[in-house]
Amino acid sequence: MAVIQDVHGHGHDHPTGIMRWLTTTNHKDIGTLYLCFSLVMLFVGGFLAMGIRAELFMPGIQILEPEVFNSFTTLHGLIMVFGAVMPAWVGFANWQVPLMIGAPDMAFARLNNWSFWLLPVAALLLITSFFVPGGAAAGGWTFYPPLSTQGGMGTDMMLFAVHILGMSSIMGSINIITTILNMRAPGMTLMKMPMFVWTWLITAYLLVLVMPVLAGAVTMVLTDRNFGTSFFNAAGGGDPVMFQHIFWFFGHPEVYIMILPAFGVVSEIIPTFSRKPLFGYSSMVYATASIALLSCFVWAHHMFTAGMPVAGQLFFMYATMLIAVPTGVKVFNWTATMWRGSMTFEVPMLFSIGFIFLFVIGGFSGVVCAIVPVDIQVQDTYYVIAHFHYVLVSGALFALFAGAYYWLPKWTGHMYDESLGKWHFWLSMVFFNVAFFVQHFLGLAGMPRRIPDYALQFADFNMISSIGAFGFGLTQLLFVYIVIKCVRGGEKAADKTWEGATTLEWTHLPSPAPYHSFETPPVVK
Amino acid sequence: MGKENEKVTSALQNSDMEKASMYQVAEAVLFSFIGIRKKSDLEHDAAKIKPVQIIIGGLVGGVIFILSILSVVKLVTG
Ligand SMILES: [Cu+2]
Repeated sequence: MAVIQDVHGHGHDHPTGIMRWLTTTNHKDIGTLYLCFSLVMLFVGGFLAMGIRAELFMPGIQILEPEVFNSFTTLHGLIMVFGAVMPAWVGFANWQVPLMIGAPDMAFARLNNWSFWLLPVAALLLITSFFVPGGAAAGGWTFYPPLSTQGGMGTDMMLFAVHILGMSSIMGSINIITTILNMRAPGMTLMKMPMFVWTWLITAYLLVLVMPVLAGAVTMVLTDRNFGTSFFNAAGGGDPVMFQHIFWFFGHPEVYIMILPAFGVVSEIIPTFSRKPLFGYSSMVYATASIALLSCFVWAHHMFTAGMPVAGQLFFMYATMLIAVPTGVKVFNWTATMWRGSMTFEVPMLFSIGFIFLFVIGGFSGVVCAIVPVDIQVQDTYYVIAHFHYVLVSGALFALFAGAYYWLPKWTGHMYDESLGKWHFWLSMVFFNVAFFVQHFLGLAGMPRRIPDYALQFADFNMISSIGAFGFGLTQLLFVYIVIKCVRGGEKAADKTWEGATTLEWTHLPSPAPYHSFETPPVVK
Repeated sequence: MGKENEKVTSALQNSDMEKASMYQVAEAVLFSFIGIRKKSDLEHDAAKIKPVQIIIGGLVGGVIFILSILSVVKLVTG
């Protein structure tokens, strides 16, 4: 069944060493670059998180000056969102979309190279901004004015970096949309595409829709800072609250940009390890599309305390709560897929089930935050921090780990170390909850976010949270070790590594996938 | 490969011949908002409804969605 293809024996030459990576137009090379970059950024952002938790280990100020602490929280958020999670998903798309639709490569191979190589430039700007006079941006990852119209050149560097990252994302999404719409193998109709491809198609459209809005917001802050405009300056006739509206019109769909590909990965893994087809494939497609559409009408739930008419508060409250309906459909479908399946619990499956379990907690606390009177209480407290870390760490990050373990055998040709992987899962699961569950209590008790010091009654929960966070951070070093070990060798992976897998990369390609695959497209029946 | 492609495109063109009614599009969009759809109905949709129709239908559905929430808000605050 497997179509054995030329494993790079044919005679076109291309550069080796560093030039191979700088000039590559191969979707697998670029996917690898994206994934390595995002792993590095995960550790940079993680280092900042460790700094934050070390400062919050005890009341009082021990390690970080307040201004530096503010820079740490700001850059932790920006780096994790734009440097770790988003590039990681684009890396997955680069590797997997062509393999799963039977295409030889991405549609725009050179654009693909350019999209990637913009990223290290932006990362460099963000990291070096810590060392310029005035330090890095410190107004929070949402860079609200007037905080972001003050501040030194570190803020300008951050704004420039966001511009570049946005450009890279837009080019990446255009590439993904074009690839999916034009390069599917004969017979691969839209409604036969794997869920991961579907979720990325919808995500890419969301990105094309909202990234230019972010670019607009960033540009206005930039001209307010440097060219004397007053978009967000009340003294000049502008309105700082307008920034919040523009930012969150990008910011809320951004959450779904980070989580929809996670839904896709989990929708691939759960059927494989339940040895059953995905329950309600078509309703999954519909649910993803409606989540994407609805996500554009709920942005002001981030601004309930910013001053808004009651009618506005009610509108955004109702709209936000309605998103729980299609999300609930998805959770139901995953559960129904597992129902009476012959399940096994390899590491990808463990991370997927962990994802469902913890994402549901994050979803519930999201509905809690959507209720206006509650939100007015918990706005800017650790409750919100706990909520979105349940969505983004045990949501996006756990799904990234699940996907990495699932496809590593296809990418490297070797099996990862199953028992170390299980250790990675269980340690992550325990430490994650130790770090973040207690933050719900801190928030309900009134501990504000983005503050380096706190009142004595918060001391115990903060110490527990910090211990959990250190454990979680250290555990991720184990992941790096597992990946390196898997790349360098190990048990040979079978072409169809997982018994229950049905997508093209498992049924039609050897492991590791050859450098050039599907030069002759497979025929899908 | 060429033949396969021809088959696919001719199948697409055939299905384009009978256009879906507005009611069918509205039904598909409505079900997509809840996130549930029977498989046979979906295949029927996929065969009959053109992408342009579904995009316009989705946008109209979005507007109706907003208007209906707004009217609930009016009702509650009024
Ligand atoms: Cu939101």
